[in-house]
Amino acid sequence: MSFLANAFSITSKDIRLEFRGKESLSLMLFLSLLLLVIFNFALDIDRDNISLLAPGILWVIFAFSGILGMGRTSMAERDEEAYLSIVFSPASAESFYLGKVLSNLLFLIIMESFTIIFFAVLFDFERIIGSLLELVPSLILGTVGFSLIGTLFSFLSTTSKYGEVLLPFLYLPVVVPILLGGVSSMDIVLNETVGEGTGKWHQIMIAFDILYFSLSLLLFKYLIEE
Amino acid sequence: MKSGKIMSTLFFLLIILIPLDLFLIFKVAPTEKIMGDVQRIFYLHVPLAFSAYLGFAGVFFSSILFLWRKNMFWDTAAYTSAEVGVLFSTLVLITGSFWARPVWNVWWTWDPRLITMLILWFIFIGYFLLRKGISDQFKKARYSAVLGIVGVIDIPVVRLATKWWRSIHPRLSREGGSLDPLMVKIFLFSLLTFLSFTVFLVFFRFRVARVEERVTSLMKRLED
Repeated sequence: MSFLANAFSITSKDIRLEFRGKESLSLMLFLSLLLLVIFNFALDIDRDNISLLAPGILWVIFAFSGILGMGRTSMAERDEEAYLSIVFSPASAESFYLGKVLSNLLFLIIMESFTIIFFAVLFDFERIIGSLLELVPSLILGTVGFSLIGTLFSFLSTTSKYGEVLLPFLYLPVVVPILLGGVSSMDIVLNETVGEGTGKWHQIMIAFDILYFSLSLLLFKYLIEE
Repeated sequence: MKSGKIMSTLFFLLIILIPLDLFLIFKVAPTEKIMGDVQRIFYLHVPLAFSAYLGFAGVFFSSILFLWRKNMFWDTAAYTSAEVGVLFSTLVLITGSFWARPVWNVWWTWDPRLITMLILWFIFIGYFLLRKGISDQFKKARYSAVLGIVGVIDIPVVRLATKWWRSIHPRLSREGGSLDPLMVKIFLFSLLTFLSFTVFLVFFRFRVARVEERVTSLMKRLED
């Protein structure tokens, strides 16, 4: 089997697992909804400030719900050392990594889409749906970055005795450029900041994604070899 | 030259360099016109930042060498450099804060250099949390090497992203030529002192760590 076919079979395994167990995605969605409610109490959100607050609220939710989901999908591999069957199979560590990145990416995109819809409905902010086309590039680039780092680090953290609890400590500092890029580009789109384009933020997210994709491909094998 | 010899040479050199550096900073360096005496922190703060970066560079290269050679020697080199890096970055953040309060009128500001140092600090606190949570020595070494490499690579990206976000940090401007030549000389001397001190600390901590590892393995053999 080719590299990509191996990766896709890992992804489809995760999707099947998700359909049967409904573990990570449903948890992510519930956390997103819950965080939106909490933000509503914590910040005084109204018509005047919503477009200013939306980028921060949404990207914080994407980051935290993402941590929860990605921690779960890698715990599923660690439970009863399921990943060892992949280590002993002819499939390469890199294809395993890519497969996990793709499934995490898919779950993150679904979670983010629902979060944006929840946000539009709960805060009566339909304009965000109207601007979705302009937001898509930064959402995709940011989510790819989240998934690349999240997949690598969730495998790091689940080995430790602290388990998933460790993940935010490792993950959040490293994804700061993605958070900055995501929040800034959403801010530019929603608040129509004059003279500022989203281009440079897209560039930095592309650089981040390429850098971490190549780095993870080089390093992931060290996390699953026994 | 053996590491013991390097260490004792550095030790004797530092006995002279450190008091001399302090004397130059507090007695010889001219008082800055606007900031006054508080500007003297600059002679400590900037070399401390260089020392912290030197420590983290040590983690980066040792981690690569560990993954390549699979020799525990490089793991010890990586985590001892990380300890020194964390120590110096903590001091950079504290001295920076002491300087910022009278000059910028705030203890902390969201400037790219400050954020980059803080993010580095967080990453390496995470590095030690990760190490603490894994009992198997070889696995611990492998996993922390991966984190060490990823963490250091992140720095230029964080720096660029936060720079686009905002910046108010003072720079040693080349065009402005605002710095007195004596100040530059003392600064360079201080930098040399701190970098030698960093190298000494890494060597010293490395030797202690090797002894610790040897004691642990001997204890294990005794138990068996």
